[in-house]
Amino acid sequence: MIEIRNISFSYKDAPALKDINLYIAKGESIALIGPNGSGKSTLLKIINGILFPQRGEYFFDGTSITAKRLEDNAFSKKFHKRIGFVFQSSDSQLFNPTVYDEIAFAPRQMGLSEGEIERRVSDLLKLLQIEELRCRVPYHLSGGEKRKVAVASVLAHNPDVLVLDEPMNGLDPKTKRFLRDLLIKLNSHGKTIICSTHDFEYVDGVFKRAVVFSKEHTIIRDDEYGRIISDDEFLYENNIK
Amino acid sequence: MHIPENYLSPSTCAVLGAAMVPVWKRASANVKREFSKKKMPLLGVGAAFSFLIMMFNLPLPGGTTGHAVGAALISILLGPYAASISVTIALAVQALFFGDGGILALGANAFNLAFIMPFTAHYIYKIMMGRGGNRRNYIAAFLAGYVSLNAAALFTAVELGIQPVLFKDASGMPLYNPYGLSISVPAMMIPHLLVAGVVEGIVTAGVYGYIRKVSGEGLNEGRGLKIRPLYVALIVMIILSPLGLLASGTAWGEWGADEIKSIVGFVPQGMEKGFNFKSSLPDYTVPGFSEHMGYILSGIIGVLIIVFLFMAISAALFIKREVKITDK
Amino acid sequence: MDWLFREDRYEPGSDSLKFIDKSLMSILKILSKIDRLGGQRRGILYGVTPPLKLISTILTVVCVSTSRDATFLLSAGLFVLINLIMLEKSDRKRVLALGITASSFSAVMLIPSMATGNIINSLIIVYKVLLTVSMANILSVSTGWFDVSASLKLLLIPDIFILVLEITLKYIYLLGEISLNMLTALKIRSIGKNNNKYSSISALMGNLFLKSKEMGEELYSAMECRGFTGEYKRVLAFNISRIDAVYAIIVLALTAAYF
Ligand SMILES: Nc1ncnc2c1ncn2[C@@H]1O[C@H](COP(=O)(O)OP(=O)(O)O)[C@@H](O)[C@H]1O
Ligand SMILES: [Mg+2]
Repeated sequence: MIEIRNISFSYKDAPALKDINLYIAKGESIALIGPNGSGKSTLLKIINGILFPQRGEYFFDGTSITAKRLEDNAFSKKFHKRIGFVFQSSDSQLFNPTVYDEIAFAPRQMGLSEGEIERRVSDLLKLLQIEELRCRVPYHLSGGEKRKVAVASVLAHNPDVLVLDEPMNGLDPKTKRFLRDLLIKLNSHGKTIICSTHDFEYVDGVFKRAVVFSKEHTIIRDDEYGRIISDDEFLYENNIK
Repeated sequence: MHIPENYLSPSTCAVLGAAMVPVWKRASANVKREFSKKKMPLLGVGAAFSFLIMMFNLPLPGGTTGHAVGAALISILLGPYAASISVTIALAVQALFFGDGGILALGANAFNLAFIMPFTAHYIYKIMMGRGGNRRNYIAAFLAGYVSLNAAALFTAVELGIQPVLFKDASGMPLYNPYGLSISVPAMMIPHLLVAGVVEGIVTAGVYGYIRKVSGEGLNEGRGLKIRPLYVALIVMIILSPLGLLASGTAWGEWGADEIKSIVGFVPQGMEKGFNFKSSLPDYTVPGFSEHMGYILSGIIGVLIIVFLFMAISAALFIKREVKITDK
Repeated sequence: MDWLFREDRYEPGSDSLKFIDKSLMSILKILSKIDRLGGQRRGILYGVTPPLKLISTILTVVCVSTSRDATFLLSAGLFVLINLIMLEKSDRKRVLALGITASSFSAVMLIPSMATGNIINSLIIVYKVLLTVSMANILSVSTGWFDVSASLKLLLIPDIFILVLEITLKYIYLLGEISLNMLTALKIRSIGKNNNKYSSISALMGNLFLKSKEMGEELYSAMECRGFTGEYKRVLAFNISRIDAVYAIIVLALTAAYF
């Protein structure tokens, strides 16, 4: 489903990714692990078609994703429909006057009927246990509430792939556990989950596979999640634990 | 809207810059008093905001895009004095660091965008605003944006338009902007009255409405200014500034009867030269009037019709949105 | 809830997203220019002391704008050319691109006037636009921005305004990045037809304002915690080297040609 071949990316003079190869199959659930600044967010942005690598190629479902390809309006919309991105900072993601409008934003664009939109929004409010936030203003919500609204607003267009950038950051333990259970549920229903993290306490059971980035911006290990997480020596050496 | 360098004579720039000095003085005194000296740094953030607003593009009919100037919005949000300073700093940053040129023209641009526009917007908003009635406030914000942008555009057009009259070389050729009022005024005003002003109005009202909804605070509402003295000052400035420009110009004597007529009456001669926008407008004369009177009158009627049309449209838009949001 | 666990077939309707792309482009352009704040570059022109460069730039811009003298205008052109040669290649390209864009725009604007016979004066305007825009940009690319702002002291700009200006520069970057993120978020969720583009953009601007206000207040508290009372002293320290002397002589010679 997602195929990354020899990708390198730099911002101006600062390298962020070097020679990355990665294949992610449909229905997988994969963690990107690595110290700060190792390039996790950059890779997630490339996967979402926000940044484009200077070298190498990225295929989504067999189609090469390039700036040129995404200039095609219809293709770009179809692509973004199929892959949803929860930003590291929810602040930049929420821009509607109410939580209801926020979640309804994508379904409205898809031209669904108001009844169908209402159903989707209500389902998501229930799924994320934020029914009482329905008429609130996203801008003023707490960090955890914002994250939940951001997740709901992305799920609203029913993407096949869900990409999350450090979703556990800044959440309290209860919300972390809630989010963990949600990710497990979504994955068990066939959604592909790609998630960067450096928090292992509350994510057990979510991921089957992990990819470890070094501070030199390369992938140094691609293995079963459980095996990596129990290799204390390796984690310590690479500034992850 | 932004006048580039070398389109105005240096003396025009100097006069407009000089006119800004008292405005800046008053504005900083006022801001110091109202914001307290300690809060001055907030203005920097305001200036950065007003700089960035211009980067947001909006779709226009016909598939193109345009952007708002934002001075009206900032005037409503922060008050006219803080807006005046913020916009001036944004313009200075643009001239000095982002190399749009305009170092010498800074005074003129500040006059139009950091004085005329925020103060016009402020008074329109104050006069139009009702007590608590939401819809009326949106309309007030829309009109503040619409009218203030057009006021700034008109000043810009006049500043540009008097150049060829005032500054000519020995052979009578214009030294700076070569297009007289009969061209600069319609060339500036038609697109601003029809499109850019509407964009400015919708953005002003839209952002205003959003911020009101999200947080009642953040709006500089209660802080009323005494309208009268400033009103008078504004009108005096409006009358004086063209006169000041004339006085500073090299030649009173060259100011022939025709030119005066063309300033006062917008005589549509010379229109066939340069841009041929006459063709895009249907018959402009109302029967029974002299040609000039008809021209002016139909202009005024046109503007009024446009204003009311957009008031109605904006009202309709906002009612619709409100219903959508509140009945959930 | 079943809809969420089912793949749906979806064909987007047609709807232009040009306004988002254009906005992204203009903000990216701004950010890419500001990035220079950090990197130090090598080259003679980069070493000229900032106050001298600022004053010289303003002086030459004023002279160019007020001059009608062919000899002076040509010497000023030569001066700009020399400055351009002293720049690093990437900076030179950038300055030239901006100057040429601005002057071509002028030229197009002036075509009707030229067609009616006003040729020489129009060409002079086009030439002056090229010179003044280039000079402003040469200053901007070859000088640390905070050195330029500190140099404004010499123009009798009060320190507190210099502080405000510097905060503006910093926040254009911070708020620019926030805008970029918001626009990107809007873009990747724009998967169909947006019937209310104006309200989407208005909401982004509204959020940006609230964010600015919040950040501004935080900044103010942080400054207050570190003892800021509204008084601010910007220190302008610079030393003069041989390069400065040479540069000053060239500028003086140019100004002499003006008179
Ligand atoms: N917008 C940017 N401009 C310049 N450098 C950046 C930018 N974003 C990230 N970087 C740099 O790229 C590298 C990788 O960053 P990132 O992908 O955010 O890492 P991570 O998410 O793993 O912490 C870092 O060295 C960072 O400093
Ligand atoms: Mg990151």
